[in-house]
Amino acid sequence: MTAKKLFLFLGLLVCGAMFAQRDSIVALREVTVSDVSLRKFSASQSVAILNDSVIAKNAASLTALLSYNSLIYFKENGLGMVSSPAFRGTTAQQTAVIWNGLNINSQLNGQTDFNTVTTANYDHISVRAGGGSAIYGSSAIGGSVHLGNDLRFGNRFDNVLDLNYGSFSTLGIHYKLKASTKKVSLQMGISRNSSDNDYAFLDTRAKHNQNGQYYNTSFNVAFGYKLSDKHFLKAHSELFEGERHFSGTVASKSKNKYQDLNSRNLIEWDALMGKWTSKLKAAFLSERYKYFENAQSPLFELGQAETIIGKYDLGYVFDPKMSANLVLDYSRTKGFGKQIGENERSIGGASLLFKHQPLRWLGFEASVKKEITDNYQSPLLFALGTQLDLFKNYSVLLNVSRNFRIPTFNDLYWQKLGNAYLDPESSWQAELGQRLKWRNVSVSATLYHIHITNMIAWSPDENTGNWTPSNLAEVRSSGAEIALHYHFSYGRHHLDWNSSYAYTVSKDAVSHEQLDYVPVNKSNTNVAYAYRKFTAHYQYLFNGQVFTPSQKYPTVASYQVSNFGVSYHFGKVNVYRLGLLASNFLNENYQSTLQRPMPGRNYSIRITLNF
Amino acid sequence: MNCSKLFFALLGITFLSQSCSDDDDISPIRYTPLGKYDSGVLVLNQGGFGHDDASLSYISFDFTKLENDIFSLANEDVILGDTAQDVAFYGSLGYVILNGSNKIEVVNRYTMKRVGTIETGLSNPRYMTVYNGKGYVTNWGDAGNANDDYVAVINLATSSVTASIAVVEGPEKILEHNGKLYVAHLGGYGFGNKISVIKTADSSVSTITVGDVPNAMAVKDNFLWVSYGGKPFFAPVESSGGLVKINTTTDAVVRAYNYAGDTTHPANLVLDGNAAYYTIGSGIYKFALDAVTLPSTPVFTTTEQGDYGVYSFAIKQNHIYLGDAGNYEDPGKVYIYSLGTGIGQAPIGTLEQTYSVGVIPAGFYFNF
Repeated sequence: MTAKKLFLFLGLLVCGAMFAQRDSIVALREVTVSDVSLRKFSASQSVAILNDSVIAKNAASLTALLSYNSLIYFKENGLGMVSSPAFRGTTAQQTAVIWNGLNINSQLNGQTDFNTVTTANYDHISVRAGGGSAIYGSSAIGGSVHLGNDLRFGNRFDNVLDLNYGSFSTLGIHYKLKASTKKVSLQMGISRNSSDNDYAFLDTRAKHNQNGQYYNTSFNVAFGYKLSDKHFLKAHSELFEGERHFSGTVASKSKNKYQDLNSRNLIEWDALMGKWTSKLKAAFLSERYKYFENAQSPLFELGQAETIIGKYDLGYVFDPKMSANLVLDYSRTKGFGKQIGENERSIGGASLLFKHQPLRWLGFEASVKKEITDNYQSPLLFALGTQLDLFKNYSVLLNVSRNFRIPTFNDLYWQKLGNAYLDPESSWQAELGQRLKWRNVSVSATLYHIHITNMIAWSPDENTGNWTPSNLAEVRSSGAEIALHYHFSYGRHHLDWNSSYAYTVSKDAVSHEQLDYVPVNKSNTNVAYAYRKFTAHYQYLFNGQVFTPSQKYPTVASYQVSNFGVSYHFGKVNVYRLGLLASNFLNENYQSTLQRPMPGRNYSIRITLNF
Repeated sequence: MNCSKLFFALLGITFLSQSCSDDDDISPIRYTPLGKYDSGVLVLNQGGFGHDDASLSYISFDFTKLENDIFSLANEDVILGDTAQDVAFYGSLGYVILNGSNKIEVVNRYTMKRVGTIETGLSNPRYMTVYNGKGYVTNWGDAGNANDDYVAVINLATSSVTASIAVVEGPEKILEHNGKLYVAHLGGYGFGNKISVIKTADSSVSTITVGDVPNAMAVKDNFLWVSYGGKPFFAPVESSGGLVKINTTTDAVVRAYNYAGDTTHPANLVLDGNAAYYTIGSGIYKFALDAVTLPSTPVFTTTEQGDYGVYSFAIKQNHIYLGDAGNYEDPGKVYIYSLGTGIGQAPIGTLEQTYSVGVIPAGFYFNF
């Protein structure tokens, strides 16, 4: 019991250190995950792992979690509305979201809406900064966000019921079951989030957020079966269904709504044969949206895509210091809808991943991938990296990669306007990272440069004046990221401090202007304090001024938001937790997107029952 | 009275009659301006969709003055709204239709001071005309619904919508003539081919079938002229457009003038003198109203000014006003060209003025 308590306790304190928990997943032998590449081939890049206790401490959406716990900037069209990331100064389509090893960015618009991902469904969410297309495929240009479920074997039967309720009638219910024996592991989660989302504007020009109500329900199951000591069967499945009314702007009411229905399914057979590992995967992903111009009307516009994926991953360990993987994959996507007609795309790919640790202080990793498809010419994708542990407390990381983003179905097939001859966006990236660890302080600093060419942009055609996408844009993004972690314990007092800062200069190569909705400065801080059964935490977010496409309102002002929460644990055998959270407690009047005010001070109460 | 005084008096009368014969809307004898924005053209800038950044610009008739964003200057901290579509005048009031915001802002047209807002009873409002104390506003309703389109009737004394008149899909431009409203059905999300005729006396509606996608109308001598674009390239089947002449007494088509082929799309019809002017792409075409066939070549083009063609178009006092939306994100341009009809004026198409205005200049409204 002590160990369990300690685990929980530590978990509560750890707030996504950039590298403190780098190997935490690896350490747990009985755990099996479906995204092994994340830990195996990311040694020369920074990967921040947010475990389930960090996830539980934040609001339900992936936007809220990552705004405060990563350096990804989010442009949110009002609270809970469409949320688009900008990672290292790149566009929303240049951040890949990876679910248990599979790229789940929309085939229709190329991005993931971070407000359609319910964080409670995952055991850990990892943020991998920098290019990763050679492993994760399209969109892994600025970086990738990994949603993962673990399967644990060994006898256990745990339930978690989490309830929270707060301002604007915001309700969250989450239940998770984890049951396992030595042979079978089952994890099931069900989540429901809803809100009237009718917060008052601190701005005096309008009264409150109208037509912003939403709900979503998601169901998630992971199943593992040990056929023998050497053979595993795994299955992951997830269903997300949500409806959001899209709120309007300060001067313009809206009356529309939008429904999402996404499903993700993966089965996997793993075989361990001496130095060989073999993983055979099959997956089916589907996405569907319905846009109702008038929420009261039954008329809607539909867009839908279905993808089947087959993947084979053969690994060989030469010796404990050297290993390689050959990965073959094939995917076929069918997209259809009123605007894009019905089209299909097949992509075959082959990649080779290699890792070598010739010296105790020197590690290399390399990956190369080539995709073949009818639609376009795909560049040779690769990544080369090295980790130099120069001193006991000091490491240097170097990584160079070539990455890409493939055209979406909307880009290619939007009725009459789409451009079927688009090429993928192409990116070169180089980064230099340093890590310093001294007693209970650790610091990491990364410099990077990304050069993106063939960027797909919609603009009026020179001859016809009609809007159409083309591969014309070119962007150079350079930046620095700094992360600081400090941990302090004295008796039963524990303090944990994480701060990070990003400086991002991302400019259009022609206009030499900073991209819209990419802040030059972003920073966040998490401080957690625990004493016996009491914990308190403070979160701080600073987003610098951003530019907008509007000429009349060319900028959205910088803002600082602070959240403060306390919680107390009850119970002797099982842990019950009661938490209170004040969000934006300094009542900052701010907008994430132009003319779409965000809420002022608001509260929520949370009860978590472990049984 | 000595000779010189007589001479100047006669000269004045000559100018007066000259001006009046060209255009009887503007008196050359100016009175005290009614406000800062009297005696000039208001340029309506649509703004970026979803940006709430529609704006108005002012260009004085003597071309000496340009002022951008005049609504914001007169109404600090008030946002005009999203995606401006049209302006109508009634007495000293101006009605700014904001399609994206589903509202009409009512302003003093000479000072730009806001006097009110009309929000109820509008759904996707497009264009407005004024007749007999009432405003008539075309509304698409839900763009995806072909059966909920209407003309809203506004009692201008109370600024409230008092009735709605159902019409077929996609009502766009609207004008009044002899107590009848003519509504061009551009088609909304579809492609219209009708003109609705609404008798204001009893709100009865009849329709006239014209060519596909009627986009502009003008009246002269009891004849309604319509330019229709034909179906655009992104329609299932593209087609060329033309002009249609309608007798407003019988409301029957007198004659249709078509372009051959399927890629010629006229728009922006304006009548001036005995000619119709319209645009195709970046070309400006002139058609004598008694001619038999449409001209195949433009009288001039805007190619030298830019590549994007004509977004808005008007003619006043021997000048052509042309709005260029450019890339739809940066400030748009207004070009003023000679019409070539004034005494001693340079030939038609001679560029006289260039102004940088707000994003997407969508219309010109002559304020005097």
